[in-house]
Amino acid sequence: MTGNRIQDRIAIAGVGSTGYTRDGNRTARSLAAEAAVSAIRDAGLDRADIGGVISSAGVGSWTIVPPGATEMVAMLRLPNVTYFGDGNPVIVSPLLDAMHAIYSGTCDTVLLYHYNYRTPFSSRRAADDPFRRHIRGYDNLPPENARNAAAYAAWASRYLHENSIDREHLGRVAVNSRTNARSNPLAAMRSPLTLDEYLAARLVREPLGMLDMDLPVDGAEAFILTTSEHARDLPHTPVLVHTAAEGLVDTASDEEQLASLAHHGQDIVVRQLRARSQRSLNDVDVAYVYDGFTFITLSWFEKLGWCAPGEAGPFLDHAWHDEQQRLLVDGRVPVNPQGGMLSEGGTQGAGFVRDAVHQLRGTAGDRQIDDPRTALLAIGGFFYNSQGAVLIRDDNR
Amino acid sequence: MTTPIPVWERYPAAPIDQDNVALYKGWLRHELTLPRCGNCGKWHAPSYPLCPFCWSFDLIPTPLSGRGTVHLSILLHQGPSAKGVSYPYPVVTVELAEQAGLRFTSTAVEGCGRLAIGTPVELAWLDRDGAPFPAFRPRDGATQ
Ligand SMILES: [Zn+2]
Repeated sequence: MTGNRIQDRIAIAGVGSTGYTRDGNRTARSLAAEAAVSAIRDAGLDRADIGGVISSAGVGSWTIVPPGATEMVAMLRLPNVTYFGDGNPVIVSPLLDAMHAIYSGTCDTVLLYHYNYRTPFSSRRAADDPFRRHIRGYDNLPPENARNAAAYAAWASRYLHENSIDREHLGRVAVNSRTNARSNPLAAMRSPLTLDEYLAARLVREPLGMLDMDLPVDGAEAFILTTSEHARDLPHTPVLVHTAAEGLVDTASDEEQLASLAHHGQDIVVRQLRARSQRSLNDVDVAYVYDGFTFITLSWFEKLGWCAPGEAGPFLDHAWHDEQQRLLVDGRVPVNPQGGMLSEGGTQGAGFVRDAVHQLRGTAGDRQIDDPRTALLAIGGFFYNSQGAVLIRDDNR
Repeated sequence: MTTPIPVWERYPAAPIDQDNVALYKGWLRHELTLPRCGNCGKWHAPSYPLCPFCWSFDLIPTPLSGRGTVHLSILLHQGPSAKGVSYPYPVVTVELAEQAGLRFTSTAVEGCGRLAIGTPVELAWLDRDGAPFPAFRPRDGATQ
């Protein structure tokens, strides 16, 4: 069994976000640089303090345009970098890279950043933008495939076939995210959404429709990570990484060959979170449960143990707060309070990490939850992006 | 005598390499061909250079019946433009009859709509730009 020597040893000491938009006209460099500068300043640090730079712009990234880490170093003229790299796009993966670099002593403080940039393939408006004409897609599969995004529509067909889930249940995930996004100034979609509007939205990859898929957006997040000891000398209450995990199922990128929905990457992640965390579901004050596709959220509820396998429908009915038009697990725990991937923007979990940091250190503004100590992040889908983390408030400061 | 046209010119858009070329050569003969392991006897998909189950490199491209049941099923209402493709466009992942868990994804013949999961299917062959292209259709007597 895996040890967890790194538990509570690495802190997030700074965050910076540009917020998200569906019709931005800035470069990815501009967005990433703004987030980076604001995260470094938020942590009370300067350029000479940054020893590591990690992006999520590596191979297979959703964000296939620069800046990678070397370009970020050049843009910010960081003089003391001893570790750098371009990691996987989904946020816990580069977060783990950063944690490991710090824990090993390769560097003391890491700038980690993630950005999203709409491509001509992901957005009609982006296709009309002359400044995006040079972008080449990483994803030029023929239509006859069940890979990447299509894999989720395909496995949604199976999930709906095997379980008594209907479109209303998927719709509640979408409405929850939109309701929460309304009070988040960083969110791309803040207009109200009703269940009827969800049900009337057009289908894209049937059985999933427009409002079942996360939003292609422009925007960037940056984080400053350092040792917990160092973070206690910095301006904000440190947020500690209690545990972080990835899970890769053995069929990995052969999504169509997955043996069954009974075992995939989410199961591996949950096993890791249980083995490596001293906190349980009862301790969770705020939950970030991936909604890149609506039915992924339902699956996470089952895999996390909030309900039995196949029971996500009744669980959602029970957690639904009709007056507030959002989910409150056990009548208490909000889910995706920043608006999720569906309404804040499809950030591969980066928006979850930033919002969790704000909630735990008490800087979430109008959306602040009362005195949270523990945030659960369940990120990604079933195959090559299943991840999880438990972030906690540092009470030793 | 004319030289036969190489398979990569019959399927110019396909990502053909040494590991999967037998699949596309099979299509030209109206066969679904996947690598079968000479050591443990299992098929696998997509076509890899070794058997993922026993790690043998002794692979024998072997035709399958093309029969199976629909395991995953979507109907694309929009998507990339491609020759012979019009939307809405069905895409099915079929669990092949020869081996549990062995699956192949392609389209379904026109007029099927979104095929129900569990539908027994067989292969039909479409013409795409002068080359055969596999598509599934419900087997005789199968109700959707
Ligand atoms: Zn074998």
